[in-house]
Amino acid sequence: MAHIVSPLDQPSNYKDSQTRVDRQKQNEMLTKSTTLYIGNLSFYTTEEQIYELFTKCASPEDGGGIKRIIMGLDRNTRTPCGFCFVEYYTHSEALASMRYVSGTKLDERIIRCDLDLGYKEGRQFGRGKSGGQVRDEHRQDYDPGRGGWGAQAQRMEIERRREVEERYADAQDGPGAVAGGGGDWKEAEGATGDGKLKRGRSPEDEGDNARMGHRTRLDEDLDAERM
Amino acid sequence: MSYERRGGYRRRHRDDYDDRRREVHETPEQKLKGAILKLGEVDAIEELPRLERQIRDHVPINIPNVSEAFRIGVTEQPYKIPYYAALIRLLHDRSEDATDIKGLTLGRQILEDFWKGFQTYLDKLAWRETRLCIHFFAHLVVAKLVSAESMFALLQSFTAVLDEFGVSHGRAKRAALCAGEGLIIGGPSLKDSSPTNVIDIINAIQSFNDTILSSQWLVQPTIKIYSDVVSIENGDELLDSLLKTLRALNDEDFTETSNSFPQPYTSYPEIDPATSPPFDLPSVLVPPEIIELDGLAADSEEEAQVKKEEWPEYFLRLFDNDISPNPNMPAGYAVRSALLDILNIFEVNRKECARLLLEYPKWTPPGTFKPKPGAPNEAEPIVGKDWQLESTIIETILGAFLILPESSHKSIYYIGLITELCKLSPSTVGPAVGKSIRRLYGSLSEGLDVEVARRFAEWFAVHMSNFGFQWVWKEWVPDLALAVQHPRRAFMRRALEFEIRLSYHDRILKTLPEAMQAPDAFTIPEQAPGPDFEYDDPSRPHHDAAQSVLNLFRGRAKADDVISHLDTLKTNLETSEEGHINVDAIVRSIAVQSLLHIGSRSFSHLLNAIERYLPLLRNVASGGVSSAGGSGNAEAKAGILTAAAAFWKYNRQMVGIVFDKLMQYQIVDPTDVVGWTFLNGSTIGQLSELAAPLSLSAFEWDLMRGALDKANGRVMIARRKVTALRKEDDDTRARVKASTNDNSMEVDADKLDETPVVDNPALTTALKAFTSLTREQKAALSRTLEGFVASLAPSATDSNPNPHSRTVITEKAWQNRASWGKDEWNAWETWGWYRQFCRAYSPYLRNYSTTLWTVSFAKFEGSTDPAINLLKKTWNVATGQDA
Repeated sequence: MAHIVSPLDQPSNYKDSQTRVDRQKQNEMLTKSTTLYIGNLSFYTTEEQIYELFTKCASPEDGGGIKRIIMGLDRNTRTPCGFCFVEYYTHSEALASMRYVSGTKLDERIIRCDLDLGYKEGRQFGRGKSGGQVRDEHRQDYDPGRGGWGAQAQRMEIERRREVEERYADAQDGPGAVAGGGGDWKEAEGATGDGKLKRGRSPEDEGDNARMGHRTRLDEDLDAERM
Repeated sequence: MSYERRGGYRRRHRDDYDDRRREVHETPEQKLKGAILKLGEVDAIEELPRLERQIRDHVPINIPNVSEAFRIGVTEQPYKIPYYAALIRLLHDRSEDATDIKGLTLGRQILEDFWKGFQTYLDKLAWRETRLCIHFFAHLVVAKLVSAESMFALLQSFTAVLDEFGVSHGRAKRAALCAGEGLIIGGPSLKDSSPTNVIDIINAIQSFNDTILSSQWLVQPTIKIYSDVVSIENGDELLDSLLKTLRALNDEDFTETSNSFPQPYTSYPEIDPATSPPFDLPSVLVPPEIIELDGLAADSEEEAQVKKEEWPEYFLRLFDNDISPNPNMPAGYAVRSALLDILNIFEVNRKECARLLLEYPKWTPPGTFKPKPGAPNEAEPIVGKDWQLESTIIETILGAFLILPESSHKSIYYIGLITELCKLSPSTVGPAVGKSIRRLYGSLSEGLDVEVARRFAEWFAVHMSNFGFQWVWKEWVPDLALAVQHPRRAFMRRALEFEIRLSYHDRILKTLPEAMQAPDAFTIPEQAPGPDFEYDDPSRPHHDAAQSVLNLFRGRAKADDVISHLDTLKTNLETSEEGHINVDAIVRSIAVQSLLHIGSRSFSHLLNAIERYLPLLRNVASGGVSSAGGSGNAEAKAGILTAAAAFWKYNRQMVGIVFDKLMQYQIVDPTDVVGWTFLNGSTIGQLSELAAPLSLSAFEWDLMRGALDKANGRVMIARRKVTALRKEDDDTRARVKASTNDNSMEVDADKLDETPVVDNPALTTALKAFTSLTREQKAALSRTLEGFVASLAPSATDSNPNPHSRTVITEKAWQNRASWGKDEWNAWETWGWYRQFCRAYSPYLRNYSTTLWTVSFAKFEGSTDPAINLLKKTWNVATGQDA
């Protein structure tokens, strides 16, 4: 059922550079995957917040549910660094998250989901030089949504996202939302992170697409007191 | 980062990558197919002759390729069906080209091939595709390309389904929609041909619909417990709407069809039946439903095949007929069913779905919707139409989302779709969403079903989480004067609790006006949700004992060591406390709370703690008898749940999670959770004001639902496993047999067949698991029913009965609800959850209906208690014994 539009539950072109299985095997694993990579989380988002949102894609009556959540941690500080893995019991629950949750907000940030090969010990740590995710470094040649160094493979993904993004771009203009219903994403972003809130926000709130700028490491330090 | 800046980034990359973009190689056939699918991107009417030319110019013509494009176009872009009909009409013109074979026009050849595709959909019982193809044929009847007689025959093969013996509601409903919608669209020509056939079809649908009144009673979105009459002001049932539409059309000889559906083909010269006789649709038979026979039924009650969508579908109306269309009138029915089709077809991509919904007006007759603000107003507004697009879309999505007992997709799909709509056009969709929220909120005091209210709160919280939690709570401040358990106040509490789960306490607290922040407003908890370790305070009893257990956990002591330490504690307590306290209960509580304390930092910490100390938990669950095995001790398991609920009493999300994981690791069974919830559920929660006699609110229902779903899910997994192993076994046997036969052609075949088959041990184990899980499922359902009966028709001797469970079910009491207090509303809500239990789990309940009836209702034989009668009636409707 997808001649007219492409489904949202397709995996991205991310390639785990440290996996030992070949591409074909990886694709095969993805068609059965029960694990999601979740990106662009606030450093302050808790596992319970993640649980609350992702449980909405669970199918307990079908033997499903959330099996576990693995927070992505900064390799050096052991504090959350903006990503996690959510593992379900069934593949269809992971697909549902791709279709319904990816690209919506959690804790006032637009999060991104991607099907994953499955969690392996060690993958909970950021692989960037600073200890966080690679995507947070000062680089241009990485997958815009997900970490990883494979610059070659990223081009197609960037292109795919650009096309999708372009389609929706023209409709993004328009006056702010009327209080009482919709509301406006742009304004909501601006309102946060101004220091009034108990918990600060990461400076970049632009969404699930290109994260080209760098991310200050300030938040991470703040994090330490919380853990 | 603003969208403008993002645009800048995009441009930069376009420069970088444009030259490297992969070339997409499309064959000419694919190009033609693409062109057919893209029909109407700018203006369908203008493009039609061009597309006709393109198809005719394609040499050599590949009919299957073209007709496949038509099939995809019709079934995946139903809003274009009238234009595909027009295209077929154009292709029916004779031409000098060599495209006519055996005297058949190109259009006719495509149509004949299209039919084969329709037949395939029908054989697979792909109902939506079948129905949309019927739409297409119906347009072709009006265009005189398909004969009215054969169309009648087609529609009649669907009304024949309604007369099948024991036809399921789902099957009959879909068949009725096929027949009815075909008649709506093809009516103008069909009635010309035979008015009596038209009446027959309408009557066939009507007489089916008359048989399901009691089912309608159970799934209407507004509860009127006291009344048998199915009539609600704010909603319409799907088949009711179909019938009202058909009658309205028939009264006017289907002249309204042309005002409800575009008919572009009518502007072309009429086809000459002499040179181009209309196509006679071959006759069809709607195949029976495929019943999966996995032979897993040891005794007949155990075969829990789960079938969904067995219920009438009520769509809530939120707006007046001048804002959004009335689905009981032809034009309104057309709009609503078209929007529903888009909603269902594009479920795979909610962003595209949102875009297509907002573009929908271009596929409707001019004047159907108000023009976009600022757009050139070409069409004159039509009296009785001129609807608001966004209100109509939101009303339709919410209607589909709030269907009882459950929507066809997950809640989060509808929620996400509304979010996308708001992002695409905030200034127009936002107000429609706001108005919808106010309407729904308003209807909470008019008997809005409790499950509808629960989903409403869920939507509200997730929606607000996507839009900065910007709701104007101030306008609901006056409602704080209502009873604390009034549905509106319950909604506010629940919505805020859900918001906090997605965000955090301080953030949400700040969105509220002061009046709601006050602790005595009972709207939001004073403090952030957190654990409450009973033994934390050194002045509390058993503080030292708890510390000693905690230290063992912290030191990662072995489970066995902890168990023996607990035994020592028990002995010490017994000697020191003069024996008048329940030492077992105290030690249990200390053990469980200490373990949860270790795991209280996060969900992962909880899982680690539970997994590391599974042997300990099993020991506690068995009542201290080491390695008792089996399913433990009921009192001990209830004690574990009590300790967990006490520990997390300020965080009800965690109560649900802990219960779920305790069931997952089989420390407690779903039946334990159900039983515990009925007895203790209403005492959890930070608002002691709300503690109530035996009753069920949405939170307790969620706990119970979690338990029932767990029980049902396990049976599902076990069933799948057995089926897979059986198949594996059969395959192995077949292979063995085949090879043996090959090797010993001469040996008597009969002898070989008698070789005793060694049972696969894995299969034996799986079957054993299946049997015990099925037993557990039955027990959980049975316990739930018993709990409801005890709550709603309590006998005088029950502990803590709700005095109002019998009084709230009368009409007089309902009319007097303004004076209801906490207990009345609690009783009313409990009745609501009983209804939801019966209708949502009816596929499972049906399988055990005899046993469950005997357990819960047999003792009331001959009772005249109205509460008992209502309990029985609801049960009978849900289990299909009321027809």
